[in-house]
Amino acid sequence: MSTRAHPVWPKLRLLALLASGLGVILVLIGAVAWIALAQSFGLHNPMGEDRLTLDHWEKMLDRRLYLRAVGYSLWLGFAAALISVALAYPLAIWLRRPFRGSALVSAVLQAPLLVHGLVAAFLFVNIIAYHGLVNQLMVALGVWAEPRQLQNDRNAWGVLILQVWKNLPFALLVLSGSVRAIGDDILDAARDLGAGAFARFRRVILPLSLSALQAALTIVFIGALADYSFQVIAGPTNAQSLAQLMVFSRARSWHEAAVVGVTLMVLSLLGAALIAVLSRALRLRGVL
Amino acid sequence: MTLNRALFVALLLIGTLWLALPFGMAILWSLVDASTPWTPDHILPPAISLDRWRNMLGNPVLQVALLNSYLLAPTAALMTLTLTLPTAYALGRIPFRGREIARMLTLLPLVVPGFVTAIFLTALLHRIGFTGSRFWAVAFSHALLFLPYAIRILSVSFEQVRQDHIDAARDLGASPLARFRVAWLPALKPGLLAAFLIVFIQSIEEFAIAFILGSPDFTTIPTLLYARLGQDFVRPDAAVLSLILVLPNVILMLILEQLLRSANPSLSSGKG
Repeated sequence: MSTRAHPVWPKLRLLALLASGLGVILVLIGAVAWIALAQSFGLHNPMGEDRLTLDHWEKMLDRRLYLRAVGYSLWLGFAAALISVALAYPLAIWLRRPFRGSALVSAVLQAPLLVHGLVAAFLFVNIIAYHGLVNQLMVALGVWAEPRQLQNDRNAWGVLILQVWKNLPFALLVLSGSVRAIGDDILDAARDLGAGAFARFRRVILPLSLSALQAALTIVFIGALADYSFQVIAGPTNAQSLAQLMVFSRARSWHEAAVVGVTLMVLSLLGAALIAVLSRALRLRGVL
Repeated sequence: MTLNRALFVALLLIGTLWLALPFGMAILWSLVDASTPWTPDHILPPAISLDRWRNMLGNPVLQVALLNSYLLAPTAALMTLTLTLPTAYALGRIPFRGREIARMLTLLPLVVPGFVTAIFLTALLHRIGFTGSRFWAVAFSHALLFLPYAIRILSVSFEQVRQDHIDAARDLGASPLARFRVAWLPALKPGLLAAFLIVFIQSIEEFAIAFILGSPDFTTIPTLLYARLGQDFVRPDAAVLSLILVLPNVILMLILEQLLRSANPSLSSGKG
């Protein structure tokens, strides 16, 4: 479309139409990112004077608590994304063609999508409580001599289980759509050419569902990286996630909270970029 | 196929562990009678009653939270629809350079981590003085946060309005209002309902903004549940609250799924 072919007013009309939804999004989300960035460098101080400074970054980067939160959240993000997708992928392939009962299996697997995260946390904590079902069962079976403290375990298995419970259905949803779109003829052709199950996966299914894989990994990663509720309710008490650290440090200093907030945004972007680069590398290899 | 059969049985077992046990325990806990506590030596609660439900539903704290949540949700949904319609029209019906980029950019609120949006949107709203009414501030923030869903759904709906229907109505001399009614509305209606419902559900469930922007005294069901899972944890009460949060939404989601199917008929009929 050239500029000359159109008078000005359709463009203004288009901009006005876009302003209501897209404009509001750009202005406000832009402002959110800007305020976080500015506050992390000492500006926009709600309590006192503005002063452009690197102090807050230096202070936080020096703090063990902050560094541990970065490591912990990154680990949670990647672990949750990889485990959810690794479990969802075979299920998506298995459920590719409908069979008797497959709708029920899908429904059961995807049900957690309908369950609020806080409710999920409660359900889980309820089951692993000191006198909860798991402890009762293990003691009754004689595996454990007495109930164990499972809630808020130090290795964060609880948080990870919750993340997978909540995110596997989502990964399954995203992957199913793209795995189902792969035609039978192409898979049959691969089979006729002598490709085994794994070769069919590697040469046909994986390349054709790579963008869904990338989307699933990215979204689960960002969600788990920025988790607050699961960590606070079921997470280890000796570790803090970034979102938790951000909420808690806000009580002391907006600027420190802003440093954590910017960290979260930057890590989300970097993680998404890393996943994009990896899937591009995979795509190039898969085609060869 | 035996393999499929074995897998199927295995998955039903996992399904039990996955859903039935957690919810079964929650339902049992919500029925524990206050007179006799459920001690570990009993497999089932020794005394069962609906007392916890009665107490909780009669509790003014919960009533306020329920009222807030269920007023917030339709308010946010209507705000979202108002903001969405012009943009969705543009994205659905006007071809322009950069339309794909514009579509991508509408997803921004979903990409920024929830608590980052919550904290710094709160800072922003404080700065411009828009926190006098917590209700409206939270409602507006929800409307912003869930715009991407509504824009997505409705721009597809706008695409599906058929130009020949519009033209036919015009050729037959229909007034603009009548044209809207016969050509636009039938194609838009499922999308409008679906977008309303998805924002409604998301708003009921939203925690970060309600928690940060609403604190300390504006409560919704999720913030109340969060408080009850923390400092004043009473297991049966938390069980009741959890079920109160989950049950209506499951029903709404099932309705939503039907709506989405009719809002996007290409999914079911195979026609593009």
